[in-house]
Amino acid sequence: MPVVQLANLVSIAKTVGANRIVPAVAIPYPLGDMNKSAEEQKSLRKQRVEVAMQALLTTIEEATIFEVKK
Amino acid sequence: MKKAVHYLNQFFGQIGGENQADIAPQLHEGHVGPGMLLHQKLAPVAEVTHTVICGDNFIGSKTDEAIEQVLTELETIEFDIFIAGPAFLAGRYGLACGALGKAVQERFRVPVIASMNEENPAVEMYAHELYIFSGGANAAAMRKDVKKVADFSKRMLQADKLRPAAEEGYFSRGKRLEAFDGSNRTGAERAVEMLLKKLNDEPFHTEMPMPVPAKVAIAPAVEKMEEATIALVSSGGIVPKGNPDHIQSASATKWGKYEVDALYELEAGSWETIHGGFDPSAANQDPNVIVPLDAMRELEQEAKLGSIHPYIYSTVGTGTTQAEAARMGTEIAKDLQRANVSAVILTST
Amino acid sequence: MHLEIGKFEVKDVQFGSKTTFAEGLLTIHKEEALQVIYEDERITTADLVLAKPTEPVRITPVKDAVEPRCKVTGESVYPGVTTKVLPVGSGRTHALKGVSVLAVGKHWGGFQDGLIDMSGPGAKQTPFSQLLNICLVADTNETFEKQEQQKKNTALRLAALRLAEYLAEPVRKKVPEEVERYSFPPLAKRTQELLTLPAVVYVLQLQSQMLEHGYNATVYGHDAGRMLPTLITPNEVLDGAVVSGSFMPASSKISTYQHVNNATLKRLMKEHGTTINFVGVILSNLNVQLEEKERAALMVAQLASSLGAEGAIVAEEGYGNPDTDFILTYEQLEQTGVKVVGITNECTGRDGRSQPLVDLSAKADAIISTGNVSEHLKLPPMERVIGELEAVARDGNAGGWNESIKEDGSVEIENNAIFCADSSTGDHYKTVKDY
Repeated sequence: MPVVQLANLVSIAKTVGANRIVPAVAIPYPLGDMNKSAEEQKSLRKQRVEVAMQALLTTIEEATIFEVKK
Repeated sequence: MKKAVHYLNQFFGQIGGENQADIAPQLHEGHVGPGMLLHQKLAPVAEVTHTVICGDNFIGSKTDEAIEQVLTELETIEFDIFIAGPAFLAGRYGLACGALGKAVQERFRVPVIASMNEENPAVEMYAHELYIFSGGANAAAMRKDVKKVADFSKRMLQADKLRPAAEEGYFSRGKRLEAFDGSNRTGAERAVEMLLKKLNDEPFHTEMPMPVPAKVAIAPAVEKMEEATIALVSSGGIVPKGNPDHIQSASATKWGKYEVDALYELEAGSWETIHGGFDPSAANQDPNVIVPLDAMRELEQEAKLGSIHPYIYSTVGTGTTQAEAARMGTEIAKDLQRANVSAVILTST
Repeated sequence: MHLEIGKFEVKDVQFGSKTTFAEGLLTIHKEEALQVIYEDERITTADLVLAKPTEPVRITPVKDAVEPRCKVTGESVYPGVTTKVLPVGSGRTHALKGVSVLAVGKHWGGFQDGLIDMSGPGAKQTPFSQLLNICLVADTNETFEKQEQQKKNTALRLAALRLAEYLAEPVRKKVPEEVERYSFPPLAKRTQELLTLPAVVYVLQLQSQMLEHGYNATVYGHDAGRMLPTLITPNEVLDGAVVSGSFMPASSKISTYQHVNNATLKRLMKEHGTTINFVGVILSNLNVQLEEKERAALMVAQLASSLGAEGAIVAEEGYGNPDTDFILTYEQLEQTGVKVVGITNECTGRDGRSQPLVDLSAKADAIISTGNVSEHLKLPPMERVIGELEAVARDGNAGGWNESIKEDGSVEIENNAIFCADSSTGDHYKTVKDY
């Protein structure tokens, strides 16, 4: 059962052995942004979840960080 | 007086050399061979009341059978401590001390003390399970090694506070716990001293050796997302308002499972974070910033994924030890496997 | 820059009809002292209680500790916090030594609050058991945070700062028994002799992870979470430029008392001119976004290399995700060619078998370990409790849980709850070893 971890601190995720990692926005709001409107936040959230789903669909050989466009 | 049982192989048990290595385990009353020295050194706290002897080949090839025989014999007597060896550099003997010692410790809940040379392969296998003292390469070190084991055993039987591995002389059991600097040097003094050594290219010893990062087997990818059931799991402490399972805000030992099948999103006011390690204001205003149920529902409606598992799983990851986190992770994974979940999106804070 | 700290050793404390200091005896006129506390209308009830080393006393919830100090000029000791912003770090400051003012909640505790045992097995966990503690036990009308796990504790913490200044007032014009002198010549004006010694910086990563104002450590009153790493002199830190915040679990916390008595800084100043050329303090922070952590690490390394540092000591006020700030800064400095020693605590679990830091690096090869936040402690009952014991179990303390208090008054907690027990400023003997 594959797991994708959405984490701001990707180095910690790597250290504990996560294999599919997608960078998140911040520690207190991994899938939001305090400086943005609710709508903007939701679209950002959807974008990152879609990257996470893509990560789940990807066959990998080693721990991989799936980058998200800024 | 406390009672000690001593373990020896056929050679030190004075039965014979390699030609006797196939003998089955036997229990003797009193001490045998080097057991006399152990007996003397344990006085007046303890005495060697029994000795177990087994051939190295027998226990090496029929390990389970040998161990079961010894355990059965030991059921018939009372004892407070189990001492194995010293096994020096003898590989088969060391492995026998380790395997049998571990079994005795588990069955009888008594301390097990062994002694081996650092090169003995059993050290790496059993150092985390038993107290294995660092010993010499051969029987020339017998006197010294037996004394170390006996001194420690006496203190253990008297319930003295045990000192760190390096001070006592046993191999690290992989436990890092608090101690007070023996020479009463403060952190500041130790830090500046270490820096001066590092600056002068002199040898120094870190107080925190860096562990090697963990590796986890890679799971195969999801084949068809349109048919997949995706579960949401988080260490960000999102729970129904009021925290019904009383999950701790730090150093958590509990996880919760909450139904979201009828929900389109996690509403503020009905859900909150109880994570103690960060400013909760953003997540309390919109819990979806930690558990993205709203975004997942949209993707579900757009048929970009099969379905969302009806429950979310939550715990708190601050001050939560690796051991507790691993246990909770295993429990959650089992629950997800039972429900035939295809993949997990894990959000961490 | 030249700073003098005039020291007055306090051997005992008592209450009396006038606040005075004579021959080692500090006498406190309680009513007058309480008037200073009540200057802040948020304080609803307050009392002063004494706790001395070896007494059968347990103190909790402790929110901060402050050393009684005053400036001989009469200016503020903590500018930007208790008064307008003013310079510190030069001139003469007088300090009562061996004594500390503790801000103690009368009822309410929280995530960051600490516990101090003055005797018994818990006493050795924290250096604060060795001080004469003047406990300000108070309640406030800050009802908005009474039920919150995270509390700013603003009124109480400010009251402790005021009380500490009031208590030092009697020695303001007295001649100190001993004077500590800190000279910090400008970097561009250093003698050839100094310049031949290896240059060393001290990096202090302050707790600054709360987004809202009022929780984080401050620098001249400025929220440490809202700054880029900045260069400051040791004199300023030892003279009140940094004030503790209200967020980090107690054992990892650096109290205001420890900032002005920073043991590592003092030790480095002692070596200055003989084995090292101490070039300054870089105040950094602990952040909540990876990008901020990376930026802070880069800035620290840039400042250190601009200063020509060959060595650095990095201290982390925290554990958990701040380990990433610590490791990134460690790596950046080493990459710039600076040899680093780190000071931090670890979180290895009750059985000691968990990974010590959440972030790792092979470059971090020289670390001083000051404690295990999750060390399991069973502490026997104490005859007297100052504050409210229930707070440890009830109010979301980082080292306590619902069942932490037993019927006989004994407590079962994690080291996390012990006040300033893992001093990353280096003033304690505690460490972590392999068992």
